[in-house]
Amino acid sequence: MPTDNKRVRGPEVSQSPSLFLCKPAVVVPPPCGPRPDGRQRDQVDVRAVFVRCGLVSQAKGSAYIEAGDTKLMCCVYGPKETERKDETDMKCGRLTTDMRFAPFSCPERGSWIQGSQDKDFSLMLHESLQPAVCLHKYPRSQIEVNVMVLENSGSVLAHAVTCASLALADAGIEMYDLVLGCSIRQDGGSYVVDPSYTEQNGCSSVRSENQGNLTVAFLPSLNQISGLQSDGEMTEETLAAGVRTCIEGCYKLYPVIQQALAKSVRRAAPPPSES
Amino acid sequence: MRGKQMTSSPRDEPLFHGGGVMEACDSSRVSLREFGCEQNLLSRPDGSASFIHGDTSVYAGVYGPAEVKVSKEIYDRATLEVLIQPKVGLPSVRERSQEQCVRETCEASLLLSLHPRSSLTLILQVLHDDGSLLSCFLNAACMALMDAGLPMSCLFCGVTCAIDADGQIITDPTAAQEKESRALMTFAIDSTQRNVLMSSTKGSFSVNELQQCIAVSQTASEKIFQFYRDSVQRRYSKTL
Amino acid sequence: MAAGFKTVEPLEYHRSFLKENCRPDGRELSEFRTTTLNIGSISTANGSALVKFGNTTVMCGIKAELANPTVETPGKGYIVPNVDLPPLCSSRFRPGPPGEQAQAASQFIADVIESSGVIQTEDLCIDRGKLCWVLYCDMMCLDYDGNLLDACIVALLAALKNTRLPEVTFNTETSAPEVNSEKRQGLCIRKHPVATSFCIFDDSILIVDPTAEEESLATAQLTVVTDEEDRLCSVHKPGGTSMSGQKLQECISRATARQREIQKLIDKVAHSVKMEQ
Repeated sequence: MPTDNKRVRGPEVSQSPSLFLCKPAVVVPPPCGPRPDGRQRDQVDVRAVFVRCGLVSQAKGSAYIEAGDTKLMCCVYGPKETERKDETDMKCGRLTTDMRFAPFSCPERGSWIQGSQDKDFSLMLHESLQPAVCLHKYPRSQIEVNVMVLENSGSVLAHAVTCASLALADAGIEMYDLVLGCSIRQDGGSYVVDPSYTEQNGCSSVRSENQGNLTVAFLPSLNQISGLQSDGEMTEETLAAGVRTCIEGCYKLYPVIQQALAKSVRRAAPPPSES
Repeated sequence: MRGKQMTSSPRDEPLFHGGGVMEACDSSRVSLREFGCEQNLLSRPDGSASFIHGDTSVYAGVYGPAEVKVSKEIYDRATLEVLIQPKVGLPSVRERSQEQCVRETCEASLLLSLHPRSSLTLILQVLHDDGSLLSCFLNAACMALMDAGLPMSCLFCGVTCAIDADGQIITDPTAAQEKESRALMTFAIDSTQRNVLMSSTKGSFSVNELQQCIAVSQTASEKIFQFYRDSVQRRYSKTL
Repeated sequence: MAAGFKTVEPLEYHRSFLKENCRPDGRELSEFRTTTLNIGSISTANGSALVKFGNTTVMCGIKAELANPTVETPGKGYIVPNVDLPPLCSSRFRPGPPGEQAQAASQFIADVIESSGVIQTEDLCIDRGKLCWVLYCDMMCLDYDGNLLDACIVALLAALKNTRLPEVTFNTETSAPEVNSEKRQGLCIRKHPVATSFCIFDDSILIVDPTAEEESLATAQLTVVTDEEDRLCSVHKPGGTSMSGQKLQECISRATARQREIQKLIDKVAHSVKMEQ
């Protein structure tokens, strides 16, 4: 492996202490009964979210979202001149997305170098956002969307989509609609909405047919789906039901996002005083 | 966010009080290793020099003013790039930090605004490291820039001081002395006012020790500037 | 009008303020921005802290892992500090591997850790020659508005104070470590180094806690790191215009006062976090 000479290096190998626990601390949650955080199974019970716009002074638009312990922030730069001249599109702007996990964001320490998972997420984020942005209004320019995951406690992609669309709106980029994300975890006949990290990655011992994760990016006022990502094995009916559940989850999120956006607009341009 | 928020109010009391007394230093107390310098020894670069402090030896080459990459272009001055090549292996984070120190020192003394939208490249190759490497980089850089004939507002030189366990100040330490020292400081001194252009330190020390080391370095800089003068004189006396 | 003047002649714009002994954001020359500290907000890290100096935001997360000590230093652990300037924090940074500024900052932090002895690497040893801790300290800039180094050091120090390591014993029979995550212990913080950065304007005017714009217009920068015993851990001036000994002395006095303020702030926040638990 080539050595990384652009960072302060540690030892060649190091292992997470969680590999050597005397007692296995992580108990796989049983696929029935209430969820570890007290939410209801088989119901559209999303975590309470905290959203804030316009935190980063240097960015054109920015947003921070916190759902349970999942914390991520997004900054939008642009529209600016395309960096690579050969890719300049005279008719249409370019949207670039970059999603990264802070090394300390997951229970296991992540590497500094962007892994394939980050790149997959970046691509999915790009595909979910692009249909919502009026790119034809920004010819020859590029809009950069950067997402940083500070703490990963499940449903990262769904919240990244929501956060990114909020940051785009905060930057004043013209859009057809906001994009909201929601994900579910299917475990046999039951499902959990907005799964936590252990729920998302904990494989239950009972192998069943319907098992997988589903993330939907949804344009609420147009009632359209812009992105859908699923893994695992699910029957057609389960998947269709899952998509409907996700859309319901998005609608729960919608008023919170609208409020946050309205608040930031009001702060940027306060309404004229009555007197 | 969980956790606690707390704020310290910015203070508005009158600060920047005090003022240090410059320590005088007897030049006989300052001992430096044998110096060696040769200019214009490489044919390819526009200016080159080798500099030797005892067993520490560095080659420097300067290219420019030349055309600059569009992404690095600065509209009102030249872009200076410094590259440090270690003796073995690839440059790492430590070299990057040294590059920054050398580059910003050179930027302060070079009249970069005379060459707008052009590039200058300074390459420093380590031949052997036996302590005081950063000061050797600075001295080699200064000689090479001089050899390249680039306009400068002043010359500069590098001096390394080590404070050993007994509190004695050793100038121009060897690698073994550096290892045993409690603190290590490298300063770049300019030739006009003998002020500190650059400072880079390791280890912990008191304010008094810092002032002493600066005073010692200023005294040592006299010797180095005299050496600069002698070596340039020697060189041109041959050619003229 | 003022906005246009600022864009076209940024240096003149700043000078016109400095002439009146104040700065465009309303501060005096020797005034710091409001400092906000938030400790322990990331539950996936062993220790974490978020620091804000005005707009500048740095988050430090510490992850501890187990490793074998090197043969040369069998009784020592590792501290691996890295500063990251992602493209998220400012449009001046490009995606990809760390640039020169991030690398120089990482090296500076590593030097300060070693020089100040904030943590003795001997304390990170679990079993001599066999097992030790590695502390990966990642400092992530989330909003870059100048004075990165000061913010990084405060974030690092606060995160180190917040770090809790599980109890580990080395089982000699199986020659494997055993981790008891129920018993957690804090680190032994031996020193409290605090950095204070200065900028020199037009070769003579000294300002503290510069913003990104002030940094880019200044002719020199200086960072002084002091600990609670008033010992200097670093006097870092990476070039720029020269500086007299007297000016330096002024900076050191200011840095000493700043160290007290920051240490008090960290202690206060760390204490209130402890009370909550």
